[in-house]
Amino acid sequence: MRWQLTTCFIAMAVGFSYGLYQLSYEVQALEGELAGINREIEDNKQSIEILKAEWAYQNRPDTIQELTAKYLPLLLVAPYQVATFKDLPDRKMAPEVLEALDNPVPRRKPRFEWVYENEEEGTPSYTLASYGGNSVLQGQVK
Amino acid sequence: MMGQSPGQKNLVEQPAAARVGIKSSKKQAFIKLEGSAKETLEQGRNRLVVAGVLFAFCFVVLAGRLVGLAISGAGSEVDVEAVAPQKPAAVAVLDKRAPIYDRGGNLLAVTLEAVSLFADPRKILDAEDAAEKLSRVFPDLEPEGLKAKLSLRRNFVWVKRHMTPQQQKHVNDLGIPGLFFRSEERRVYPMGNLAAHVVGYTDIDGNGIAGIEKYFNSRLSGKNPKDAGPVHLSVDVRVQYALRDELSRFMSIFRGIGASGMVLDVKTGEVLGMVSLPDFDPNRPGDFPRDNKFNKVALGVYEMGSTFKAFTTAMALDLKTVSLRDGYDATKPIRIAGFRIRDDHGKKRWLSVPEIFMYSSNIGTAKMAEDVGPKRQKAFLQKIGLLDRPVIELPEIGAPILPPRWNTLETMTISYGHGLSVSPLQLSSAMSAMVNGGIFRNPTLIAQEGTAEVEGRRVIRAKTSDAVRKLMRLVVEKGTGSKAEAKGYLVGGKTGTAEKAVNGRYKRDALVTSFASAFPMNDPRYVVLAMLDEPKGNESTYGFRSAGWTTAPIVSRLVSRIAPILGVMPVDEEDPRIQKAMHMPTYSREKNNETF
Repeated sequence: MRWQLTTCFIAMAVGFSYGLYQLSYEVQALEGELAGINREIEDNKQSIEILKAEWAYQNRPDTIQELTAKYLPLLLVAPYQVATFKDLPDRKMAPEVLEALDNPVPRRKPRFEWVYENEEEGTPSYTLASYGGNSVLQGQVK
Repeated sequence: MMGQSPGQKNLVEQPAAARVGIKSSKKQAFIKLEGSAKETLEQGRNRLVVAGVLFAFCFVVLAGRLVGLAISGAGSEVDVEAVAPQKPAAVAVLDKRAPIYDRGGNLLAVTLEAVSLFADPRKILDAEDAAEKLSRVFPDLEPEGLKAKLSLRRNFVWVKRHMTPQQQKHVNDLGIPGLFFRSEERRVYPMGNLAAHVVGYTDIDGNGIAGIEKYFNSRLSGKNPKDAGPVHLSVDVRVQYALRDELSRFMSIFRGIGASGMVLDVKTGEVLGMVSLPDFDPNRPGDFPRDNKFNKVALGVYEMGSTFKAFTTAMALDLKTVSLRDGYDATKPIRIAGFRIRDDHGKKRWLSVPEIFMYSSNIGTAKMAEDVGPKRQKAFLQKIGLLDRPVIELPEIGAPILPPRWNTLETMTISYGHGLSVSPLQLSSAMSAMVNGGIFRNPTLIAQEGTAEVEGRRVIRAKTSDAVRKLMRLVVEKGTGSKAEAKGYLVGGKTGTAEKAVNGRYKRDALVTSFASAFPMNDPRYVVLAMLDEPKGNESTYGFRSAGWTTAPIVSRLVSRIAPILGVMPVDEEDPRIQKAMHMPTYSREKNNETF
């Protein structure tokens, strides 16, 4: 009875200590990895800083002006060239689209899809599939 | 112990037992003791048990702690490393000097890591050879000076601060012992000259010594933990660039020795652009003469000339000493205290108030101010901030120069901008109070939260402000500032041409021309000020160099450039509603004379 208990205890002690040591080493390895990642983050942060400065430097207004002078025939903006979105004419929308817009049913998540509007011509055109999942709009998706 | 007591009792209850006897039994073997021996044994056993329990307790604690540590990992070496840098962070909130942004989030100043080279001369074997090799990598270092440096009996000398990665590689390739690299911080200004006077610059150790860098030094460097972080300026680099571009263009066209200008939001007091030419590159401030670092807008004070007539007219209208229908006789020059006040292009007739303003008549304005009187004039100018040092987030601020006496003569000269020197900054903020409905707001270089109007103090009535707007529009439409017209943006302004005072005398051939304007005049949003220092006339201006010829065109081009950026929509000037809003009768009596 006693030696059984003792063996049991010894086995437990060995088992636990093995487990704990294993755990401890694992933790240490993870800590090391964490420190490495942190260092990397610091490094990347510094690189980002440098890139931001570079971005600002390359985007100096005088550089941009030089480039526009070289590649674009731009002059001073005349008043008639200034417009707002309000000045644009309203785009005519198909009644199905308007209907779909009024539809209170929860819409699908917006995503990018190829939609064949005209099957005969077969010209692919895309639309943001955020109008809702009616088949009316999407035609046949291939 | 308690568990043993029944056994002990048993022992006691067996009197027949021998003194020292062993009761042979299958189950138990007892050593039976009596008397003192038994007590001693008891005591020993008790002590053993107590000690055992204590030790067991300690081991349990240790084991528990071990398990805890193994699981949490707290207190391990790596963790100590990770915790350590947090402690100094509580003292210095920032790990390095914080950046400066413009209102659109563009970087104006940022701190980057740079490598510096230092030497331990005692470890250098051959100073001459090392100096010769190093001077090949750094052409700007003299071999002799370097040799002297490397022969010093010290253990630390800087060889080169902030070198490029390529130079670092070259130095590394030389393989000279006793040379070491150290990673340092370096302030970089990606926009270069663009906002040099506003942003300022730092010394090589990263302490701000000019501009915003100096004014917000403790905030940027994080010395004050409560207020640390980046600075967001109200300056817009696009506006700033347009301003600098136009000023430098016209400065070279008219061969001026300097130029300055600013754009101010009249509703918030935010400075959108502030340029002083010639300027410098804050990345290498040492390469530029001191004159270039002088901020003409905030630190320089000038006699502004006729732009002051806007203030004089507003004052007279506000105090109701004159109405728009009234006028003054400007036939003859005024003689006072040995001086003669005359008009440059005199009309030699009676002029109404709008005409006085439009043709920029000194005589008429002087008479207008005389009616107001020196005391009230002084109080008015005080109110619009022209007599005190202005308040703005810059360390370089010039105080106005007031005349030693302030009597009728001074009142007259100051009325058209002579005898009182103010900075362009003061002039712009006072001008913004004239056109924005009569509210004076302190100019600021820090971006304001939201778009709400900033509180200010009322200096003139809204009605007076409205009249001043129309008068300023009239100047551009029909008067001296016609070259400032930017189609669609309803620019209004006032020209100012002043002779420079050198050693107490006016120099006839050295002018300071300025144009203080605002747009759009039906609801002013921005004040634009442009100034040229000593412009010279050329063929295109028929030799004229007054403000109407030299600085007004700057404003015209500038407004056309920045208005779309600032979201000011062009309007049709022929629109009857606009015409009505901007209508200002001149009340001229010239026609009447002609008809008779």
